[in-house]
Amino acid sequence: MLKQIFNKLPKKSSKTDSDELSRSSESPQAAGKSQQRSNGGGASLKRASSSAVFPASMVSGIEPLVPFKDVPNAEKMNLFVSKLSLCCVTFDFTDPSKNIADKDVKRKTLVELVDFVASGSMRFSEPAILAMCRMCAINLFRVFPPNYRANGVVASGGENDDDDPMFDPAWPHLQLVYELLLKFISSSCLDAKVAKKYIDHSFISKLLELFDSEDPRERDCLKTILHRVYGKFMVHRPFIRKSINNIFYRFVIETEKHNGIAELLEIFGSVISGFALPLKEEHKIFLWRVLIPLHKPKSLGVYFQQLSFCITQFLEKEPKLASIVISGLLKYWPVTNSQKEVMFLGELEEILEGISMVEFQRIMVPLFLRLGCCINSLHFQVAERTLFLWNNDHIVNLIAHNRHAILPIIFPALERNIKSHWNPAVVNLTHNIRKMFVEMDEKLFVSCHAQYKEDEAILILEAEKRKEAWKQLEQVASLKPVIGNTAVLVSPLMT
Amino acid sequence: MAMVDQPLYPIAVLIDELKNEDIQLRLNSIRRLSTIARALGEERTRKELIPFLSENNDDDDEVLLATAEELGVFVPYVGGVEHASVLLPPLETLCTVEETCVRDKSVESLCRIGAQMREQDLVDHFIPLVKRLASGEWFTARVSSCGLFHIAYPSAPEALKTELRTIYGQLCQDDMPMVRRSAATNLGKFAATVEAAHLKTDIMSVFDDLTQDDQDSVRLLAVEGCAALGKLLEPQDCVAHILPVIVNFSQDKSWRVRYMVANQLYELCEAVGPDSTKTELVPAYVRLLRDNEAEVRIAAAGKVTKFSRILSPELAIQHILPCVKELSTDSSQHVRSALASVIMGMAPVLGKDATIEQLLPIFLSLLKDEFPDVRLNIISKLDQVNQVIGIDLLSQSLLPAIVELAEDRHWRVRLAIIEYIPLLASQLGVGFFDDKLGALCMQWLKDKVYSIRDAAANNVKRLAEEFGPEWAMQHIIPQVLDMINDPHYLYRMTILHAISLLAPVLGSEITSTNLLPLVVNAAKDRVPNIKFNVAKVLQSIIPIVEESVVESTIKPCLVELSEDPDVDVRFFASQALQSSDQVKMSS
Repeated sequence: MLKQIFNKLPKKSSKTDSDELSRSSESPQAAGKSQQRSNGGGASLKRASSSAVFPASMVSGIEPLVPFKDVPNAEKMNLFVSKLSLCCVTFDFTDPSKNIADKDVKRKTLVELVDFVASGSMRFSEPAILAMCRMCAINLFRVFPPNYRANGVVASGGENDDDDPMFDPAWPHLQLVYELLLKFISSSCLDAKVAKKYIDHSFISKLLELFDSEDPRERDCLKTILHRVYGKFMVHRPFIRKSINNIFYRFVIETEKHNGIAELLEIFGSVISGFALPLKEEHKIFLWRVLIPLHKPKSLGVYFQQLSFCITQFLEKEPKLASIVISGLLKYWPVTNSQKEVMFLGELEEILEGISMVEFQRIMVPLFLRLGCCINSLHFQVAERTLFLWNNDHIVNLIAHNRHAILPIIFPALERNIKSHWNPAVVNLTHNIRKMFVEMDEKLFVSCHAQYKEDEAILILEAEKRKEAWKQLEQVASLKPVIGNTAVLVSPLMT
Repeated sequence: MAMVDQPLYPIAVLIDELKNEDIQLRLNSIRRLSTIARALGEERTRKELIPFLSENNDDDDEVLLATAEELGVFVPYVGGVEHASVLLPPLETLCTVEETCVRDKSVESLCRIGAQMREQDLVDHFIPLVKRLASGEWFTARVSSCGLFHIAYPSAPEALKTELRTIYGQLCQDDMPMVRRSAATNLGKFAATVEAAHLKTDIMSVFDDLTQDDQDSVRLLAVEGCAALGKLLEPQDCVAHILPVIVNFSQDKSWRVRYMVANQLYELCEAVGPDSTKTELVPAYVRLLRDNEAEVRIAAAGKVTKFSRILSPELAIQHILPCVKELSTDSSQHVRSALASVIMGMAPVLGKDATIEQLLPIFLSLLKDEFPDVRLNIISKLDQVNQVIGIDLLSQSLLPAIVELAEDRHWRVRLAIIEYIPLLASQLGVGFFDDKLGALCMQWLKDKVYSIRDAAANNVKRLAEEFGPEWAMQHIIPQVLDMINDPHYLYRMTILHAISLLAPVLGSEITSTNLLPLVVNAAKDRVPNIKFNVAKVLQSIIPIVEESVVESTIKPCLVELSEDPDVDVRFFASQALQSSDQVKMSS
């Protein structure tokens, strides 16, 4: 589809184009026609879409067109198309001294277009929609330049790495194009049934690719636009969800590099809240296969808030998913990254806040095994954050109800902290929780204590037994040489 | 001995251990799977252990990864190749998990097992497995399947082969980009097993699809496969099918694609033959050398020598050399650096005249580059130029460059130039070295950075090796030994280190007459760190010198040190004494 659009591009840098445009300023009708004519003209596909390769620098001057208010209503749509094609010219912004006048003409035209679309005075004709999509494609769909910081090529002693993201110098125009596209898509004058032919899968894919932009302003524009597209084009919804999922999969499974995860999740935040009940299988798979694995990448911190919001949205829709979500968190629980661990604990508390008794009971055993480890964490923030869970009345209530299952699991962790944690605040908090359990059920506490003493002895014994068992095994193994037909591959680990 | 009579349940031990909360214990037990298997014997391994492992797939990824790895070398434990197929089910499950490393490892293990399996077993067990994975509901299975076709295909009967090719074609058009990427990555491997007739039809159409994929990432991987595929085809087919694609790619709008082409292009030259290289690939390559994106130019510049080597000297001079000239003044230092690292290799390709006339000015300008990496890269490949035009033409400009690098404020730069000093010395000859470089080598021994001093000591040793003990005694040893009296203890330590390195090179006689007295003298140093280093050096000298010297000089010194007030000095002295006794005993 996009290729079709591209094929109809006018020769944007040719003289004739600007001639036509300047002529058209006398008669808007002629402008419409000349547009049509040049549509059939040569395709400068390469040039238009590859501004990164060949910054369009040899653009001959462009002439402004008459303002909208100076033409009768009947001509406005044609003028709209002409103005859009004028904006298909792209400029080299790396050199600010180049084409200053022309750049300004384009900027003013874009502003006019934004105002026109915002006024919402008339329905957009099909050629107008086509022209709009084409103009956006030419201006927006570009390949991002290499990111020198991320690539290992740089060896300059690491002194000049300022961490500023790379911004496209053409942003002043890009911003207006984004604004225009947003107004256009949200406009009530845009008939989705007609527009879906042009705002199609390929167009949406290209929009999604732009989410990898380093510029947060650009990602913000994209987020709003895509959100509107999702709202307006019902037919494209499954495609959009699928495409975003693919981005997530690639991020989690292959690259761990993408700038727009937070924005994409933000879109999903509101998409999820619109899911119908009961939840479709597809959406549950999304939770399990996409959202939960998104906890794994090390850059979690960048999009954690949005991710956590999505998860909460899901659980508000369907509280029965809580135990599944928690078991997912346990699966991806960070082993060495304490900062991530604190985030996980925060999310966990939020989930536990709203969890039902049944769901809680389903997951509590593995959960508290993990929390036991967190309580003992040498990173005091992790230990502290875990112990703060007991400040939450709902959680304490859940624990109190199931104390017979939970206390035996975490008792050793509490004892270990009191005995040997280096951080006084953590020791203090642990004391409080211990006291809480004593007040809760003294009998249970005493029996746990006794059990703990016993277990400690057993543990040592078991380790001994295990060692003995392996020794025996190895002896037996050494007596039974392998008689396979192939040469024996003895792994270096066994002796 | 009574223990042996007790019944032992190896599987029970494993199961028990795998239930443990401590992941380390679970990992350990998986790592010792082979022990369990041997204890069980082949039959029970097949009937009990492997089925158990097939079910134990809900563990931590780390445990699963270990399982996948162990199973790859498990063939002997299940009774050899005729039973290898029992290993497939657990690995098949592991091929479908979420975590990429587990899946990759499982595929690797499956390939390893499949490569040993008997043909009939492959048809009965392996190929059905590949087909199951390829039609897996979840994309992870399909991703894994792509890496198994090249094992399955060769032993399949004709009908099955057709089916496998069709399935692979479908994978290349899968709905999920992840699967298409995997199919693109593995295409070269699979294509290598496919018969020439089908290569031209089936595989090429698959390849065409991939090169037109709407996802950048897929196309990128297709380019990567270009060269591998090109080598499989007949030159005329390669010209007909691959060449247009690659030429097209070299003008792709995505710089990543162009970058990939720049990296691969020279490999394709061999596949398409000299004529097409001249008409098609050279212009494409020249375009890449002049690409707008520095990243692409870096990749292209790094290949100028390899590319020129394939061309005739005339072509290289006519087309490549002008670009090289431009690149040598490129605005990106990384481009210049990439060029500098390979440009010396062009000298043998172009021959003496062209080198002197055209390349030499470029060398000289790069030697004066403001970016130290560029200069270093030139110096590191000096030998290649030396072979063609001799070093004399360069030596004038070389010295200032070396001196400047030797004093660079980044210690890594200094370190790099030190590494090249022995090479330089061998290329420039003794005379040049004596005049200009000797002083630098001494200067480095007193560098502020330990790594430099360490490298400098090593450098002295390598020089002694290069020019021989006699030269060393005349030109470097006196200066080095002079420094043993430096007021700074760290510098004295450096010299001790240098002595320990030099001793084996210089031999017994010089060591005992020239070096040893200094070391023994240093044993009276006031700094304990020097003293225990003396002990260490003496220990290393013991095997080199005559036994009489050990008895008369080294031992008394060590005995004295072993009564030092400092605990570390005593420790190392007694260690050295012990080793001297051992040497004596063994001799």
